[in-house]
Amino acid sequence: MNTVFQIGLTVLMFGSLFSVLTLSLNLQYARGGMINFGTVAYFAAGAYAYAIVTQEPPHGLDQYLVGLDMPWWVGFIAAGIAAMAFAILTGWPTLRLRGEYLALTTFAFAEMLNSLLVNERGIGNGTVGLANVERPDANILGLSENIVYALAAFALMLATAYAFRRLLASPYGRAVDAIRDDEVAAQAIGKDIARLRFQVFVISSIPIGFAGALYAMITTLVNPDLFSAEVTFFVWIALVLGGERTLLGVVIGTMALVGFQEVIRAIPFESVRAAEIAASAEDIVTGILFIVILRWQPFSALARRRQAA
Amino acid sequence: MTRDLLVVDKVTKRFGGLKAVGGDAGLSFSVPEGTFLGLIGPNGAGKSTTFNLISGVLKPTSGAVILDGKDLSVARPSDIASYGLGRTFQTPRAFPSLTVLENVMVGADNEGETLLSVLRGGWRSRERALRAKAGEVLDRVGLTERINDVVANLSGGELRMLEVARQLVRDPRILLLDEPTAGVDPSLQAKLSRILVDLHAEGRTLVVVEHNLHFLLQIADSVVVLQNGELLSKGTPGEIKADEKVIAAYLGADHAA
Repeated sequence: MNTVFQIGLTVLMFGSLFSVLTLSLNLQYARGGMINFGTVAYFAAGAYAYAIVTQEPPHGLDQYLVGLDMPWWVGFIAAGIAAMAFAILTGWPTLRLRGEYLALTTFAFAEMLNSLLVNERGIGNGTVGLANVERPDANILGLSENIVYALAAFALMLATAYAFRRLLASPYGRAVDAIRDDEVAAQAIGKDIARLRFQVFVISSIPIGFAGALYAMITTLVNPDLFSAEVTFFVWIALVLGGERTLLGVVIGTMALVGFQEVIRAIPFESVRAAEIAASAEDIVTGILFIVILRWQPFSALARRRQAA
Repeated sequence: MTRDLLVVDKVTKRFGGLKAVGGDAGLSFSVPEGTFLGLIGPNGAGKSTTFNLISGVLKPTSGAVILDGKDLSVARPSDIASYGLGRTFQTPRAFPSLTVLENVMVGADNEGETLLSVLRGGWRSRERALRAKAGEVLDRVGLTERINDVVANLSGGELRMLEVARQLVRDPRILLLDEPTAGVDPSLQAKLSRILVDLHAEGRTLVVVEHNLHFLLQIADSVVVLQNGELLSKGTPGEIKADEKVIAAYLGADHAA
């Protein structure tokens, strides 16, 4: 029973956290028509910004140059700003690109950031990363830290979903839909497609930064390995799994994928060999699930607007 | 004498080495405010290209397009639209993820579309007024019963009407319609003809590309005839009907004699 509770809590925590990323990706891709294969970079920007703003100034063997020793909430806000700034920096030159070109460019930007974090030790100690990241004292209401952080992740997810929903339910969302459907026709009714695409790209990156900060609080560690392209692919798989059409589907897809991985990880293995086989099996089953869902699309019933019969 | 709202001045367009519009001298014509200009010509004459040059989808190789004193040849299509130029497309372009009503509502220049307005949340009252206006426009083009339908359920003719409605909700100063009767059944054509006559009577400036000469010569004030991207003739419908060059271009040289 206790194990089940622990798994449930972990799924709630990381499922909610990654749902923030999937929701943002959903806004960019399903509504904005932009393929961002660099999602992890905005996540990393948030996590590193949080760590740098909250950590103590360097001493001893530290190679990083800046530690501002500010309270956690300053770091949290800084994380959102950092992700937004990175989106402005990367979005400005790339958003003129379409489809797969944008995908490749955003992927390249993410790889560049990763490489920068590895090689430029002044940012975050290079490959060693920043350990003992400041985390606010979560011992409130007599709840355990894990429960509080799981609830915090859940709250961040709800806030993100609410903000995006409000944005998309407005005339603004309608204009964004029109641009995704047909850029030429949208221009013919005076829509400034460059401005709207850029705004959507930047807005959707802010919650990713907040999620990065929360991730850093939960793991108390940031290093480049945690922010590899695998995170981007994970989020994309979750998005496809849940169907891109509704916010609920997106969240369900992410929770299901996180849940599946956590369950596999919770299996006690007798030997290293067994664990290796299980890890391979996890990849294979993820792949099969992916194909099954792409083929039959069980969640398409959740479609925002049903297609004509 | 009414002033010219739209001036096409020695415009040429080349795709690679190919002269698509304007030949060597450039294509020139003007549209006085409040008039109804027909643009005709055989397939490949450059009618749609001319439309694309006016609306900024294509940029002229040389020459200028001027709308009410503003040079459009350097403006973006969205800016040109906000200067008051509306257009439809040869192949109707609807937004498939929006309903019929939303397709029209999205056409309006809407302050509610800014981020600030979303934050303030004050767009709802404006939305009601816009919905009413879109409803009126849809009524005018005969799509009231389709208001909550998805666009995938519309016929080709209805899609053309929807495009007209989406532009009308913007109150354009000049409206360019690209082959509005193509693929439209006769009853809808008659309705469209009435709508165009009404719009003209309201003092709107219209430029209509048509294949259907009969349709256009009945309702246009003046007609520009293109052939191979160059001006073949211009004049009143009566003059065009009697123009031997036009007859030859449309019916073949044998009939001209």
